[in-house]
Amino acid sequence: MSEMIEIIVDDKTYRAEEGSLLIDLLIREEIKVPYFCYHESLGADGNCRMCMVEIAGQKRPQIACDTLVKSGMEVNSKSTKIEKVHTDILELELINHPVDCPTCDQAGECSLQDLYMDYGLHDAKVTIVDKVKHDKKVDLGSNVMLDQERCVLCARCTRFTDKITHTHELGIIGRGDEAKVSTMPGRKLDNPYAMNVVDLCPVGALTSKDFRFHQRVWFLQSAESICHGCAKGCNIYIDHNKMKYQDDVIYRFRPRRNDAVNGFYICDEGRLSYKELETNRLESMLYDGVVVDEHEAIAQYKSLLTQYQGRVSVVIDANLYSEEIEAIVAYAERIGAKVFAPLECYNDPSFADDMLKSAQRAANYGAIVKMGLETNMPSDAGLIINFNHPTHFNAEAEIHFSTHKQESNALLLPMAAFSENSGSLINEVGLEQWCEKAVEKNSPAPTVLSWLEKVEG
Amino acid sequence: MSSNIKVVTRHGNSLKDKLYLPAIYDGVKVTFKHLFDNVTDMNAIDTLEYPEEQPTDITSRYRGLHRLTHRADDTIACVACFMCATACPSNCIFIEAVDREDGVDEKMPKSFFIDTLECVFCGYCVEACPCDAIRMDTGIFSLTGNSREDFVMGKEQLLSHKGAFGEEVSCART
Ligand code: SF4
Ligand code: SF4
Ligand code: FES
Repeated sequence: MSEMIEIIVDDKTYRAEEGSLLIDLLIREEIKVPYFCYHESLGADGNCRMCMVEIAGQKRPQIACDTLVKSGMEVNSKSTKIEKVHTDILELELINHPVDCPTCDQAGECSLQDLYMDYGLHDAKVTIVDKVKHDKKVDLGSNVMLDQERCVLCARCTRFTDKITHTHELGIIGRGDEAKVSTMPGRKLDNPYAMNVVDLCPVGALTSKDFRFHQRVWFLQSAESICHGCAKGCNIYIDHNKMKYQDDVIYRFRPRRNDAVNGFYICDEGRLSYKELETNRLESMLYDGVVVDEHEAIAQYKSLLTQYQGRVSVVIDANLYSEEIEAIVAYAERIGAKVFAPLECYNDPSFADDMLKSAQRAANYGAIVKMGLETNMPSDAGLIINFNHPTHFNAEAEIHFSTHKQESNALLLPMAAFSENSGSLINEVGLEQWCEKAVEKNSPAPTVLSWLEKVEG
Repeated sequence: MSSNIKVVTRHGNSLKDKLYLPAIYDGVKVTFKHLFDNVTDMNAIDTLEYPEEQPTDITSRYRGLHRLTHRADDTIACVACFMCATACPSNCIFIEAVDREDGVDEKMPKSFFIDTLECVFCGYCVEACPCDAIRMDTGIFSLTGNSREDFVMGKEQLLSHKGAFGEEVSCART
């Protein structure tokens, strides 16, 4: 680690590591600085020129993203002169921008809109008809749509495919007015992390085909959660909304920054896994394929339990929250049942890579290991009470608490998915993380804890 | 800022104002003048025998039933940006957007409903629309129906309403 030095920004003294980027300090200290091309995970590129600041002793304004801090440096981020610079550069960025915010999915979370309100507010000098025309609807592949007219050529997307995924699909071709983002000839954007470019793109040039036009972003509510795709435990936002007269539904997952786990990104498979929470859900209680009411279901549950007294096994899914697993283990002890949490079925080495994806495809893998539960398959059980474990077990009778529908004559009891409940998870390296409850369904399925209350009551 | 402030003199401080009686006298005078006029000439009364008689003084600024406008090429002007639905204080505009495939624009409403029973006819939707795609210039002020559903106007119906004051097509840039 290099030496800590002091620098002055807008007459206040700050401490920073010698040789670190000035823009990092400005962002960290929440000193307002406009920028498009800089990104903490992609480094400086210095192409958008928005991040200008004045530095004492330098004749012209300098870009903060490519300036290394030096001891005694005096920086000015707020003078009238620098504000004029920001306004003028923004005006240049907007010269050929189509201003089609009404049809643009980025509206509401767009850097151009935000910076225009903060630094621009100028009248356009170029009319719409005189603006340079490009392709507005290019399907890049991997669910990513490109609108070349909206692009500010910040090269965040191309740097992502160069520096992060090393797949090099994207490039900027042409010069001047002709410059545009494109895939390399004959190629498509094709890597398991491709959709992160949608979040990286500061404007509406790259949008997600999956989310496109489904909802305006200002209607969405975000809950902090953890992806359930594998044991890595990537931090996400669950963006959901309950439209008037409709049910609360999830529209997208977005990565949530956590430098200790996933940095800025998540994999595409995890990002799209929200769909599973919305489809094929078990909604009613079934016994022998017939819908039963709660009263009948609980009566049936209790009679099965008495019938197989002493020969009951409880099976736990490694995606349940730790609090739920603890409650199930305690319940099993009370009814004298054996507890199993088979992990074998979650192992999928083909899914793993050296970026984020883990071969253990269960979100609370770490908790099962930490609690030291029996991970073998249950054998010669009379009755199996299965708490959403994906495997089908052979037993004389089965009770299945399940989030999703399944072919079975067992007693099927619908339960809340992780997005409809809160709790903690332990990932593969033993880090404990908390998930907020996101979705409030119109007719919510009971959580594990409320099921246990019901069947014991 | 301060140069824009206009100082308005406060009224009501004179002796005449404070006595109240002159004002009461003025009011009563108006009432009795109308009473006298109405009794002497029944035909001049400013009341319509609605519905036999229909109003003739609806102006172009009157906020009547909504319509969705067309572009010059006769296609729908709305781009499903949800500005009206966002501005609407009664949350009574329901839109579902789709990709527009005819090359005119990128996005359009797949469905567009206004529940006119919930609508308060404030006109915010018209103000909010960046495309001049929704207007309340149909001059239609009376709505009847046999069920609640009759008052929920769909896209086709809203497109079929004609403007009552000219300007048939959307004035937004194309
Ligand atoms: S598409 Fe987006 S991320 Fe890529 S260069 Fe253009 S503005 Fe930047
Ligand atoms: S007139 Fe007002 S209440 Fe009625 S639809 Fe428009 S915005 Fe909503
Ligand atoms: S952020 Fe510094 S030049 Fe773009």
